[in-house]
Amino acid sequence: MKIYKNFILPYLIWAALLIVIPLIMILIYAFTTDGNSVLTVSFTFDNFKNILSQAYVSVFWASLKVGIITVLICLALGYIMAYLISRFSEQVQSILILMVTIPMWINMLLRTYAWISILSDNGLFNSFLGFFGIEPMTLMYTDFAVILGLVCNFLPFMIIPIHTSLSKMDKSLIEASYDLGANKFQTFKKVIFKLSLPGVINGIIMVFLLSISSFVIPKLLGGGSYMMVGNLIESQFVHVGDWNFGGAISFVLAAIMLIAIKLTEKFDKTDE
Amino acid sequence: MMKKLSKIPSGLYIFLCFAFFYLPILVTVIFSFNESKSLTHFTGFSMRWYSELINSSEIMSAVYVSLTVAIISTVISTILGTMTAIGLSKCRKVLRDWTLNINNIPMMIPDIVMAVGLMILFSALSIQKGYMTMLLAHICFCTPYVITSVYPKVRALDVNIANAALDLGATPWQALWKVIIPMIKPGIYAGVLLAFTMSIDDFVISYFVSGNGVKNISIVVYNMTKRTNPTMNALSTILIVAIITITLIVNLAPKIKKTRLSRHLSKIAAFLGIVLLISVLIFSCNSTNSKTLKIYNAGEYIDEDLIHEFEEKYGCRVIYETFDSNESMYTKINSGEVYDIIIPSDYMIERLIKEERIREIDYSKIPNAKGLIPSVLNKEYDPGNKYSVPYFWGSVGILYDKTKVDEADLKEGWNILRNTKYKGDIYMYDSERDSFMIAMKALGYSLNTDKKSEIDEAYQWLLEQSQTMAPVYAGDDVIDNMISGNKAMAVVYSGDAAYIITENPNLAYLEPQQGTNIWYDGMVITQDCTNTDLAHSFINFILDKDNALRNTTAVGYSSSIQSAYDEMTKTDYKGINAYTPRTGYEKDEVFRYQAQSIKEYYSSQWTKIKASGGQ
Repeated sequence: MKIYKNFILPYLIWAALLIVIPLIMILIYAFTTDGNSVLTVSFTFDNFKNILSQAYVSVFWASLKVGIITVLICLALGYIMAYLISRFSEQVQSILILMVTIPMWINMLLRTYAWISILSDNGLFNSFLGFFGIEPMTLMYTDFAVILGLVCNFLPFMIIPIHTSLSKMDKSLIEASYDLGANKFQTFKKVIFKLSLPGVINGIIMVFLLSISSFVIPKLLGGGSYMMVGNLIESQFVHVGDWNFGGAISFVLAAIMLIAIKLTEKFDKTDE
Repeated sequence: MMKKLSKIPSGLYIFLCFAFFYLPILVTVIFSFNESKSLTHFTGFSMRWYSELINSSEIMSAVYVSLTVAIISTVISTILGTMTAIGLSKCRKVLRDWTLNINNIPMMIPDIVMAVGLMILFSALSIQKGYMTMLLAHICFCTPYVITSVYPKVRALDVNIANAALDLGATPWQALWKVIIPMIKPGIYAGVLLAFTMSIDDFVISYFVSGNGVKNISIVVYNMTKRTNPTMNALSTILIVAIITITLIVNLAPKIKKTRLSRHLSKIAAFLGIVLLISVLIFSCNSTNSKTLKIYNAGEYIDEDLIHEFEEKYGCRVIYETFDSNESMYTKINSGEVYDIIIPSDYMIERLIKEERIREIDYSKIPNAKGLIPSVLNKEYDPGNKYSVPYFWGSVGILYDKTKVDEADLKEGWNILRNTKYKGDIYMYDSERDSFMIAMKALGYSLNTDKKSEIDEAYQWLLEQSQTMAPVYAGDDVIDNMISGNKAMAVVYSGDAAYIITENPNLAYLEPQQGTNIWYDGMVITQDCTNTDLAHSFINFILDKDNALRNTTAVGYSSSIQSAYDEMTKTDYKGINAYTPRTGYEKDEVFRYQAQSIKEYYSSQWTKIKASGGQ
């Protein structure tokens, strides 16, 4: 049996090279100046100070806002969807869940691109409105368009874990709750929701992670001036070429995410 | 109690949710059969986009890259992940906890951070970005998913089962193959599925770590989204059909599993895998052997047929890549990417000359250069055109809708962009240089100023404009939007304006009297270029009378070749002033190269303008 122990070695080396070292390198860039050449580097906090300037803080704030709104909408829509699905027979359930999964296999960019032709000023939605004589609305390049795109892409990541928790649930617990005199609302709050909490937490983390750092959807649906943290990182690395500042932003984003995850997990544990 | 809940609203809710998921997909499928280029009006059924898709070597090679990367990274990460999961259950607790924690990192931090980290790593090790880097990165983010789906199954295994196998005389390998693996199969399948999905759908990581013309589907789509192109819808439709077919097969498979076919199936799959691996190896060898020319040009800036003709005529392979701004081009070559020919703008050419990144042109090898328009030659950025050969040229101006904009307001020049009458009716161009140019000219300064006070004033001008006018900073999507007449005004390049006006005659092009930027894009040969003869042949090929005419017809920008230019002003672009940019006006200026510190100051101010515009 001992022989299997060594199976872990290749991955240890791999993970050190391709997971740990890249992260350390981001850190090095974040805390130095002129990192493009090894000889001239010097330690600095300037990159982080720079982030604190009002314009960048507002970018972080906007991303958090969009992330939280997306999570809340996904949670509301996704929970109901998962709950409704879980009430069908097992065969129907697996078909419905498959239908939720299929869009995830189709390229995210292609799906987002389709929204452009629906939402644009003379797009399908506005022609639909025009059919009823309603004035066209500007939908593209707004918060609405970005959040719509995020929700459409990430909702399955909320539905699936919640559904998994709900379908694993022992149905006799619900019956027991009714037998013990709880009403529908009490049963939902104290039994069903509690038992589905692991799925809810997973879903929240996934959707938050994906939406706060996304940069393609804001760029396509929000236009060139729509800045989220992801766009800021992209512009630093691809267009401006300031890898040090870009590294600092990446570091802060990763830190926010890890803190958020730890907080949610803690909340989960104390609740139990 | 639960059953009292009426079934109709819940059914309706599920239906609406699915409608939300499938509406974009349905739209994609419908418009893939559209006769015209429009993505909003269905004009008739046609298979045109499917034939264009098959003929597009770019998309076909992207499909190939996506599939092979997904298959290879799935296979490798499944093996690596399963091994690790088995090893984890047997090793010491400290080591296990550490490994699991590290393993969680790629799943817990945003993918863009992982992407940036890998990009820095590859460039620090000066590994050429391409197929290998993409593959490594994909294995890197797929393996953790395999481990997390296999590890719980391994832990749930009864230790005694493996021990029993060993006691009964099985070797550790036999125990592994015959006992452990079959018992953790469901976990492995789940891991395979996850890894494949993650890999084939990935954009962010691939975007940052790939290069040298290696693109997967997502990257091609991303580059295409800037202009309407229904071939993408055709591609999308094919993918959708494929996915639905596979899903059906997978779901029906359990029913035919018992037959003999399934045993052969795994052999066939293994065989196909090997064939694929070999073909990948051949593919990667091929790319290094034959004569190649690597060209780096702005997006949508050449008649692609010319490239294929050049390849045939000179028996070489052209790797053609595009950038979306001079700055991103520079960042890319600075990170170690190597090209033979680049087509940057004036100020960037000046910078490349100063940094000795490009070599002198040997005009004896370019006889067609005699056809160049004299007025586009010998500018300050490259006196005597020693290093660059003009490609296209033009100006920056305002494209306006004659039916929406008052003729009288045009006198305001650039300041019309701050006339609140047109609030919310303006597209600005998403480019640092051009936006600052507008503000500088509106304020009466030189667009090449290096005085911080003037830059700050221009910053204020743009900031106030973005707050009072709610302009949209758009990219190339302006073209489609202005053709459809979505807004009253747009800041555009003359060549785009010329093309848009031919599609929508309500529009006209204005070069403001405060002066504007006149620009020249030129072909340059890099110091890295190994086959300079071939590079010169390419430049000569592009300058050929007929080729230049075809190129300017396809792109819409003003040709640098006299005969092509004259021809266009008599035919397609007759009477359209956007094709004949203003020359010799004293307030017009060409961009010059500026010191790094000034450039950085511009970029940071620009990022702030954009950052405050989104809210």
